[in-house]
Amino acid sequence: MTNLLTEAPAEEGAPARRTNMLVRKDGLELPRGKRWWREVGWRHMVGLAGVAFAGFPVLYIISAAFNPLGSVATTELIPTTFSLVNFETLLGGSKGPFGTWYLNTLVLCTAVSVAQVLLSTLAAYAFSRFRFYGRRGGLLALLLVQMFPQFLAVVALFLMIAKFGELVPAIGLNTLAGYALVLMGGALGQVWLIKGFFDSIPHELDEAARIDGAGHFRTFTSVILPLIRPVLAVTGLLAFVAVIGEYILASIFLTDNGVKTLAVGMFGIIAGDRSNNLGVFAAGSVMIALPVLILFLYLQKFIVGGLTAGSVK
Amino acid sequence: MTTRTKNSSGKAVGPGLSLGSTASVPALLAKILGLGAVLGAAVSLTPLLLAGGEWALLIGLWAGAAGLLAVYSTKRLVPLKYLLPGTLLLTVFVLLPILSTVQLSFTNSGDGTRGSKEDAVSTIVRNSVTQLPESRTFNLTVGTTGSVADGPFTFFLVEAPANGIFAGDEQGLRPLAGEDVTVDGGYVRGAGGYQILTGKEVNAAGPKISGLTVPTDKGAIRAQGINRAFEGVQTLTYDAGTDSITDSVSGKVFTVQQFGDREYFADANGSKGFDQSWERNVGFANYVRLFTDPQVREALLGSFVWTLVFAVGSVATTFVVGLLLATALNDPRIRGLKFYRAVIIVPYAIPVFISFIVWQSFYNKDFGLINSMLGGAKIDWLGDPFLAKVAVLLTNLWVGFPYMFLIATGALQALPQDIAEAAKIDGASSWTTFTKVQFPLLLVAVAPLLVSSFAFNFNNFNVIQLVTGGGPFPASGGQIGATDILISGAYRIAFGGAGAEFGFASAISVVLFIVTAVLAGIQFRYTKALEDVR
Amino acid sequence: MRTALTKPLARKARLSLTTAAAVSLMLLASGCSGGQAPAGGASGAASESAAAAPQTGEAASGEAPARGDADLVIWANGPVVQALQPIADKFGEENGITVEVQTVATELQTNFVTANASGNGPDIVMGAHDWIGNLVQNGAIDPVQITAEQKADLLPVATDAVTYNGQTYGMPASVESLVLIRNKALAPEAPASFEDLLAAGNAAVAAGTAERALNLQVGPKGDAYFMQPLYSSAGGYLFGKKADGSFDTADLGVGKEGSIAAAGKIAELGEKGSKVLSTSVSADNSIALFNQGKTAFMVNGPWALGDVKKAGIDYGLSAVPGFAGMEPAQPFTGVQSFYVASKGKNKSFAETFVQTAASQKETQRALYEAVRIPPAIASLVEEVAQTDPDTKIAADAAAAGIPMPSLPQMAAVWAPLGQAEAAIAGGADPAATMEQAGQTIAGALK
Repeated sequence: MTNLLTEAPAEEGAPARRTNMLVRKDGLELPRGKRWWREVGWRHMVGLAGVAFAGFPVLYIISAAFNPLGSVATTELIPTTFSLVNFETLLGGSKGPFGTWYLNTLVLCTAVSVAQVLLSTLAAYAFSRFRFYGRRGGLLALLLVQMFPQFLAVVALFLMIAKFGELVPAIGLNTLAGYALVLMGGALGQVWLIKGFFDSIPHELDEAARIDGAGHFRTFTSVILPLIRPVLAVTGLLAFVAVIGEYILASIFLTDNGVKTLAVGMFGIIAGDRSNNLGVFAAGSVMIALPVLILFLYLQKFIVGGLTAGSVK
Repeated sequence: MTTRTKNSSGKAVGPGLSLGSTASVPALLAKILGLGAVLGAAVSLTPLLLAGGEWALLIGLWAGAAGLLAVYSTKRLVPLKYLLPGTLLLTVFVLLPILSTVQLSFTNSGDGTRGSKEDAVSTIVRNSVTQLPESRTFNLTVGTTGSVADGPFTFFLVEAPANGIFAGDEQGLRPLAGEDVTVDGGYVRGAGGYQILTGKEVNAAGPKISGLTVPTDKGAIRAQGINRAFEGVQTLTYDAGTDSITDSVSGKVFTVQQFGDREYFADANGSKGFDQSWERNVGFANYVRLFTDPQVREALLGSFVWTLVFAVGSVATTFVVGLLLATALNDPRIRGLKFYRAVIIVPYAIPVFISFIVWQSFYNKDFGLINSMLGGAKIDWLGDPFLAKVAVLLTNLWVGFPYMFLIATGALQALPQDIAEAAKIDGASSWTTFTKVQFPLLLVAVAPLLVSSFAFNFNNFNVIQLVTGGGPFPASGGQIGATDILISGAYRIAFGGAGAEFGFASAISVVLFIVTAVLAGIQFRYTKALEDVR
Repeated sequence: MRTALTKPLARKARLSLTTAAAVSLMLLASGCSGGQAPAGGASGAASESAAAAPQTGEAASGEAPARGDADLVIWANGPVVQALQPIADKFGEENGITVEVQTVATELQTNFVTANASGNGPDIVMGAHDWIGNLVQNGAIDPVQITAEQKADLLPVATDAVTYNGQTYGMPASVESLVLIRNKALAPEAPASFEDLLAAGNAAVAAGTAERALNLQVGPKGDAYFMQPLYSSAGGYLFGKKADGSFDTADLGVGKEGSIAAAGKIAELGEKGSKVLSTSVSADNSIALFNQGKTAFMVNGPWALGDVKKAGIDYGLSAVPGFAGMEPAQPFTGVQSFYVASKGKNKSFAETFVQTAASQKETQRALYEAVRIPPAIASLVEEVAQTDPDTKIAADAAAAGIPMPSLPQMAAVWAPLGQAEAAIAGGADPAATMEQAGQTIAGALK
């Protein structure tokens, strides 16, 4: 956990101007004493407060997951009992095919978030680098359209997908592909975020590439894209998390146990009997949160890497 | 930098010659293949759409295909090449539903008016078929002298429990002698000259078979399911000429009359005969009601203020906490940095509906985690209008701050380091560097996101619905609770009163959409984002 | 400066799609029309051949029940789903078809009406009988003919419940109403009146063996269903009855004399009175608290008994008692029923399933075993009573209850009445609050 420092971008050649400084073998300087408190110590305080706030409900969920009684009134913050019975119930399938839901969710989230990031990046590139008629209006319109709560139009969406299903059964109701298409309505949802980062990349880079003879697409893929990997990681994660938590539309489009996502399957468990299924629900929550967490830890390298800042120098 | 780019483009052609004009063979092939796929899909779907008479879909399909072909086969329209795929999806799955919502807002669609008038009439008439106390039931098999799909069909009926055997069709019922047919287990299994249908075949021919009535002296025999028939009486008949329904038992005649924004079949005294109504166009009636019905107007105005407080409060709290943490943790010298970041992001890794359900249980007055952490306090979080609002904001803070943390971390990392370093060398303190240099730059990058976060929270139905359900509610029984924001309040009005009212709900959605858009527009005027957009 | 740099770039930029991006772009763009096949022609050809040869199409659908195109589809919710699948499978075997039971987690009724209207719904739906009014006004279900023999075997309350405007619309599967569950260790005897109940419960609290006398869930938004035994005992009613036994929506009981008396009783038991009723006891915790052994009595449905048993509580069951000297407490009786969707694709099979399979004793026994709710068949109740006297008590309570009104107008009653009751339990003025609720409901009914 703590060997991060070896991965962090080392500020090579930074002069050791200050005294009372601990210089570690990776070249990072660590001040000591009061200066440590002023420069680093307070960061730990803020970080710990953040960890406590973020962590206590999670601890509660974990506690509930391992509590064999597993009800709202019997769960406490600090686990006092340990039992895997909730996990056994969940994986045993008596509450529904949890494994299938899991797989469905992973496939769906990966496909939708990759597609969303890809399409958003393409559009953001156009908005950032080209000047064309309707550009400004388009950007604002995009923001406005995204404000329309999709679930209010759910009747219209339902009828549309039902119609599609009659023509091409593979994208009808009760198919992951059909549901994914509905979610692709948000394909341009990350444009603003990505455009902001495109804008922070100096246009001189494009210009240089252009002088070298690269076309707009080559400039995009080989010059700009590598620089925005951090934001691709962030937006990919945002899209992934948004898809994994969506249940209002999913509960309408996916009624068949075999195609359900975790969100709608789990909601069925808790809605059926909230007071008694909390433990099972919490066990599921733990298993859902894990891959996202792993994904984040994996992508953290990109986020933390600060590639853009490095190449701009 | 320049050298690096030159190296990376490899066999770059000479200056002045753009790559596009000498596109490589694989790229060209891919383009042809891709466009061919689009064209192929459009062509192959056309017969299906033609057969189904789906003209709107057909036009849409070809418009989309033509758009793709036009954009990608030429060398012009470069921005569109990047914009079109996402825009197409946005159009189909967001814009079209919005348009159909607008359309719906001009109708009286809702519970009781979901179908057409024909549907309503057929339901009313069909539902009037009742069994009489003395009427007979039969074991049914269906036979045909023609095809199993189209008939003509004959009912072979074994009366239970008397075991009389009959054949029935539109002409009527005739008794059969035992030797004409094979009977097994109470059902006719074979008859000379007839093919007996299997259960599956009966089901497949369902609409035709259920349309077959065998007249008897008391009423008519109808099939129920694949293997039963019953004798019943249809008491209502519809006369299209006079557009009226007649009850053969009471002799009453029901004609179409107006009740509010709906039409019903009602008797001569003006009282509704049946529950079923049908969808019709009502013009601006839903909008008029929205702005003139005192109950609706007051409730919505009241929650408008709270909606603003909630949306601004959610964005402000999550952004401040997220930024604080991001700034504090934006220093590679911190030991355990990965651990901090990992834990802080955990709330984001938990699907929101899980978080909301869990937090909702935290606020229970007697058994909730929050009160027990406060040493067994008896704070009625969800029962007090003010505290319930605090509870919603706190929950939303927990759910939302990791997002802001991610955004702020990403933005901080993307900021050019040399600016901050230059400021430091100039003697500025860390705080000054942050507030005067880094923060304004960061704000430019995230301002649009703050605005869309505001818009998102303005319509954050989930958190209200799952944490407080809108409550606490006024004791008088008003429909809008203390924590209801406009959208959840609209939802409650539209679906909570006398059943679902899609038309009215759509009108509220449209108005909400406009309000959100106007508010977002105003915010843009006051952010630097707009300058950037230019 | 910036525009000067970028404009020439845009103008001179030319098309140069690389292989990978071109393919993925096209696929994504054609996703809405061509599916994910690499060549759009493939999916088109497949659907054409399916259209030309319906027999193969049918066989294919039989092989892929996961896609939701089973021959017969049933929508249900909650724990009955698992009990229903074997019954459905058996019916499928007998008729050579595939039957699938699907869980619709949220808003089953609304989703059913929407899906059915567009022809994409199930063939059968299972739900409480109080949906009937709304389902009928939307033309979503067809009548179900219950034969005279079947009727003779069903509990009268069950057939009453599925009868709407003189027609029967559902096949009853189980009956349920609230009962009084007591922790025998804390309260050994079944109380004869509500006052006895309070005395016994308070005695246990005073003795320190219990923390609460009674769990009757109110929740922050109130729950008119759970309050109904007290409301009815004090003389409250929702709608008056017409001469033919159907409800008269013009005669609203909320705000009338009986309901005011009920409001007074609720206030006495509330936060400003004996604190027996609390808004913090809700559906989320009522059962769990009782199972911890901290509560002497609980008003809940027979569905709670499975958990009570699991928790090892020595419990006793009785009808919810009324107030001494007032009317008997009449809880609402709900009847879980099967309905035939009006626009199902397999109506014949659906009618047969509802007519035969759903009404069979074995079916109801399986459902009973899954959820421990009394079956709707009288003779089966007696059979079950041999080994499970609790179910007999629960069935008797349900039989003595009032069928929940299935009028569509009930949508306008539940929330305001519950809110008023919760507020009264929380200390609001009883008479004024109840009268106001009556006005709100009357306003919404117009």
